[in-house]
Amino acid sequence: MIYGDKNLGVIVQNITGRQGTFHTELMNAYAREVGGRGVVAGVAPGKAGREVHGVPVYNTVKEALAEHDATASVVFVPAGAAGDAVMEAAHAGIELAVVITEHIPVHDAMSAIAYAKLHDCTVIGPNCPGLLSPGECKLGIMPAHLARRGNVGVVSRSGTLTYEVFDELTRAGIGQSTIVGIGGDPVIGQTFVDVLARFDEDPHTKAVIVIGEVGGNLEEEGVRSTDLPVVTYIAGVSAPPEKRMGHAGAIIEGGEGDARSKVRRLRALEIPVASRPSEIPGLIREVL
Amino acid sequence: MKLLEYEAKRVFAEYGIPVPKGVVIRAPEEVAAHLPDLGGGVVLKAQVDVGGRGKAGGVLMADRATAAETARELFSREIKGVPVGEILAEERLAIEHEYYVSIAVDRSSRQPVVLFADAGGVEIEKMAQEDESAVRRVVVSPLLRDIPPFLMRELLGGAPKELAPVINCLYHVFQGKDAMLAEINPLVTTPRGVYAADAKLIVDDNALARQGIAVNRDLSEREREAEKHGFSYVELDGSIGVIGNGAGLTMSTLDLIEFYNGRAANFLDVGGGADQERVMHAVRLVASMPGVNVIVVNLLGGITRCDEVAKGIIAAGVTPTVIVRMAGTNEEEGRRLLAGCGYRMLESMDAAVKAAMEVSL
Repeated sequence: MIYGDKNLGVIVQNITGRQGTFHTELMNAYAREVGGRGVVAGVAPGKAGREVHGVPVYNTVKEALAEHDATASVVFVPAGAAGDAVMEAAHAGIELAVVITEHIPVHDAMSAIAYAKLHDCTVIGPNCPGLLSPGECKLGIMPAHLARRGNVGVVSRSGTLTYEVFDELTRAGIGQSTIVGIGGDPVIGQTFVDVLARFDEDPHTKAVIVIGEVGGNLEEEGVRSTDLPVVTYIAGVSAPPEKRMGHAGAIIEGGEGDARSKVRRLRALEIPVASRPSEIPGLIREVL
Repeated sequence: MKLLEYEAKRVFAEYGIPVPKGVVIRAPEEVAAHLPDLGGGVVLKAQVDVGGRGKAGGVLMADRATAAETARELFSREIKGVPVGEILAEERLAIEHEYYVSIAVDRSSRQPVVLFADAGGVEIEKMAQEDESAVRRVVVSPLLRDIPPFLMRELLGGAPKELAPVINCLYHVFQGKDAMLAEINPLVTTPRGVYAADAKLIVDDNALARQGIAVNRDLSEREREAEKHGFSYVELDGSIGVIGNGAGLTMSTLDLIEFYNGRAANFLDVGGGADQERVMHAVRLVASMPGVNVIVVNLLGGITRCDEVAKGIIAAGVTPTVIVRMAGTNEEEGRRLLAGCGYRMLESMDAAVKAAMEVSL
C-alpha cells in the first residue's frame, strides 16, 4: 500500500470513452470486493450530468472535486489531450495521477510531469497499467484476479509482463504488497528510484521485483537506491540492435541500454537476474 | 523518426540557425549548375541514414574543377550498405574552431538536457568516456521557453558568447519540433560568424502527425501492412511467429524462444486494447511470412479482453498451427471460444513456447 489504500477516492478522466467506461466498472467491482471506495466521479468535457455504471460525470476535474472527496485520478484521455488532462488534475488538487494513455508525445509528458510536480501531484505513467495493492485498491487496468495479497513489491516498465510476473508469483503461492507499472515511455512520472523509495518505507514489503527492458539505465539506478532484497528480470536480450521492439522505451540507444549488458551490470552488483519470468518465484524465495 | 541532414538543416534555418549554403542533387550533372553559388570549395555529403557516415566515406571534399567527378564517385558508393541517392553539396566554410552541442530527452531527470563540448566533429560518447569534464551538461525545465542565461553561462564555460543565441535557437527547434534529439556536430566559428556545419534531428514518432511529417521509409509489404494497423512489427529469420500484447511481454516471449534454442520468425505487438478485427489482421500478417509453420500467441489481458482476442484468432482462420496462452480480463470466455474451435491452449508461456518448438521442428 504505497500510494493508497481502501480509503482512496478516485476519479476517472474520460470516463465516457470505451476504455474509461469498461475499466471504471472493473475498478469498482474490485473496490466492492475489498470494501474500498473506488471510482467516485468521472470527468468528460461536455458530458456533465450523465452517469457511467452509476458514477456521476462532470465537465471538469474541479467540478468533480467540488462534489466528491477524491485525491487520485486515472487518466484514459486520448494521447493528444492527455498531457493537458494531467495538468488539469494537478491544478485542481489531485495528488496522484495514473496515466494509462499510450503514444503521448514525449514533450507533452515532460511538461505535464514538471507542471504536476509544481502542484505536488505525483504522476505514474504514462503508457502504464497503473497500480494495484491486492486487497486494498486498484487504479488502472491490471487483471486483479491474478494477484494476491502478500509482501513482495513489484515494479515494472512493461504492462503485460507485469501481469505475467504476478500471475507466476500467485501461482507459486507468493503474494504481492503493491504492483506498480511505471510505463515504458522515455519520460515517466515515477521511475524505479521513486517507487523503490516508497517500498523501502512500506512495512508490508519485504522484497521487490524489478522488471525492466532494453533502453536507458533506470533499472540500475533503481536497484542501487534500495535497501530491500531485489530480484530483477530484463526483457529484450534477444532484441536485434537498431530495431524498435514495440514502444519507445524498447529501443537500444547507443549500446547503453541493451539488455545483455544491463543484465551483466546487474549481476556485477550481485543482484539475482531471472533469465525467464518463470524463474522469478524461485529467486524471490531465496531472498525472502 | 530521424530526418536527413538537409531536412534537418532546413528546419534549423527556419528557426534562425545559420547553415552553410547548399543544394541537394540527385545526379552528378546537377552539381555544375550550382557551383557559382557555392564558391571555391565544395563539400559533398551523402544523404543516407547511417551513423558514422564521414568515416564510412560518405563525405568528400572537392573544388570547382573536381566537383562533378567527385559527385559521380560518391553516387557510385554504398555507405554502410546504403546506396547514395541524394547528395548535399555545400559551400566549404573557413572553420576557426569546432564545438559540439546537442539537446536530448533525459530519462533520469525527465527534462531536456543540453550537452556542450569545446571540441566538435568527434564522437561525443568516446570523448565523454575518455574525459568526463570535456562534456558539460545542464538540464532545463520543460516549462521554460528559453535556456536561462545563468545555465547558458554554465554550459559555455570559456567558449565564445556568440554561440549562445544559436544554442538557444536549437532549444527552440527541440521544443517546437517535438524532438527526441537536436544536435549540431560540429558547431563552427568562422570569420563570417557561427554555423551549423552538420545537423541531426530526431522527431518523436508520437508527434509526427501534429508535426505534419509523413513517415517515409523502405518497408516490406508486411511491414507496410503492420504500420497501417499500428502494430509494432519486426521480421527475424526463424520459423516461429510471435504475437503478444505489450512490448515487454512480446519481447520476453522472443527471449524465451531463444532460451530454448528456437528461432522466432517475427514479432508482432498488437498493442493495448486490441479488438477482434485487429487480432485477426495480426494473425493473418504473421502467418503470411514465408517459413512460419507455427504461431505463438501470448496474451495477458488487462485493457485487452481475451474473448475479443479469441474471436480474432478464430476469424483469421490461418494454416500454421496457432498455440495460445491467454490469461487476464475475460479469460474464461476467451478459452471457451477457442476450445470450441479446437485450438491448443497452454497454461504458461514456458509451456506455450515449448509446444511451439515441437511443432516448428
